[in-house]
Amino acid sequence: MCMDSIKTILLERQKINDAIRSFFRERNYVEVETPLLVSSPGMESNLMPFETIVIDDQGKKYPGAFITSPEYSMKKILGSGLERIFTITKVFRNGEELGGTHEPEFSMLEWYSQGMNYKNGMDETELLVRAIAKIFGKILPVFRRLCLRDLFQEKIGMDLDHAISTDLAHACDQHDIHRDETDTESDLFYRLFLTLVEPFLGSDPVFIYDYPVYQAALSCLTPDGHYGQRFELYIDGLELCNGFTELTDAEEQRKRFQEEADERQKLGKTVFPIDEQFLDLLPSVRHPTFGNAIGIDRLHMAITGRRKIEEVIPLMFSPYAVSK
Amino acid sequence: MPSPNEIKKGTVIRLNGELWLVVDFQRVSPGKGSSFVRTRVKNLRSGKIVEQNFKSAETLEFEDVQYKKMQYLFTDGQLYTFMDNQTYEQVQISGADIGDDVKFFKEGLEATIVMHGETPLTVELPKKIQYTIISAPPAVKGDTSSGNVTKEVELDNGLKIRTPIFVKEGEKVLVNTDTGEYSERVSE
Repeated sequence: MCMDSIKTILLERQKINDAIRSFFRERNYVEVETPLLVSSPGMESNLMPFETIVIDDQGKKYPGAFITSPEYSMKKILGSGLERIFTITKVFRNGEELGGTHEPEFSMLEWYSQGMNYKNGMDETELLVRAIAKIFGKILPVFRRLCLRDLFQEKIGMDLDHAISTDLAHACDQHDIHRDETDTESDLFYRLFLTLVEPFLGSDPVFIYDYPVYQAALSCLTPDGHYGQRFELYIDGLELCNGFTELTDAEEQRKRFQEEADERQKLGKTVFPIDEQFLDLLPSVRHPTFGNAIGIDRLHMAITGRRKIEEVIPLMFSPYAVSK
Repeated sequence: MPSPNEIKKGTVIRLNGELWLVVDFQRVSPGKGSSFVRTRVKNLRSGKIVEQNFKSAETLEFEDVQYKKMQYLFTDGQLYTFMDNQTYEQVQISGADIGDDVKFFKEGLEATIVMHGETPLTVELPKKIQYTIISAPPAVKGDTSSGNVTKEVELDNGLKIRTPIFVKEGEKVLVNTDTGEYSERVSE
């Protein structure tokens, strides 16, 4: 990459970060800093944190890891009394593709607002993305909002309210979609989504919302109990964020942590200790609370029409960069 | 047993009794739940390309195949003969096994033959192939105003493609074998 484009990209990024900061400050959000090095990073079984060892002055060793998301720290801060917070931070994920739309270290915007639900959250997310697009002279079309119930009805003719594993498996077979005997309900749902729904979302911004409960752990349920109050935003086919009306039930959260720990054990992945401070503070978080995380690099790509993450992260980890 | 995480371009997967060649792949991690590997795979019997997705945690059966660089010599209309330029070994593959890609063949083309033991399974073409244009209608003035900015030309292997109107007879062009579309002109 030539020096000129490094400069261009960094100046663009500064504009984006400035726009994010003024957007949230105007809405009385407090910008907070959260730790990158923790003893208990994300527990999701599909994530692989970067692990390390902290050594104290006596030579005693403590296992640690870099965060895959600032979520636990953010929720601790909410539990300690701040109502509306946002952070712009680096997060780290190992075991994923290098390049394309992935980089092991990437920038994340995460924000939470007590008293707000995911529908207000979609409004706020749309305003934010529009505000950022505007500084690049882009007027985005109205963000469509499509619930998965309607999408599955329209694209697959399936009643997602009542579909159980066998229905999902049957739909896969009907559409020649490969499935595996180890597939869970969530896997089968995702196979259908990947093949029959996602490719047809178009390039204009669109919110997909109300995920089946098995795809929305840690979110509140919709009034009918069929779905979790979760949404994702797609722009140009790229998944940009994951917003929730957050679950604030510490007992349910502990159960979920235990399930994730068991799953990690089964997969032979490191099982991290449960963050007890997080569980202590969680009951102090009000209901509802909205939380959302946006990958800033992907947002940068979507807004400036770039297709590869290396086009928005000028100085990146690359096994090839140093030898060039 | 191999995992979908080991999938690369050119991997051959045995699935439901059929062999599938991976032509493209991408890892996807949903916001929640298992991660997947999204692939475009080519059925080695029918030549049909479909999208197929594999959960990272599932177990797949990979077929042990070899890849040989060979040069295309000729066809009798049904079988296509390739030769290894080092060993002069020749293999023949039926048009049905190659599928639609035969239209890109031209004498001397270097391609990769996917071999299953002694049996050639299919031919993997280079991403782009160079051709010479043997016939191109001259650019007609006014075409652009009607939005018609391409024209049909004939390549030296008989294939007809659409190119921008500035492309002339005798020029060399690259054609993208994924899309079958004109890619760029080649200057010599």
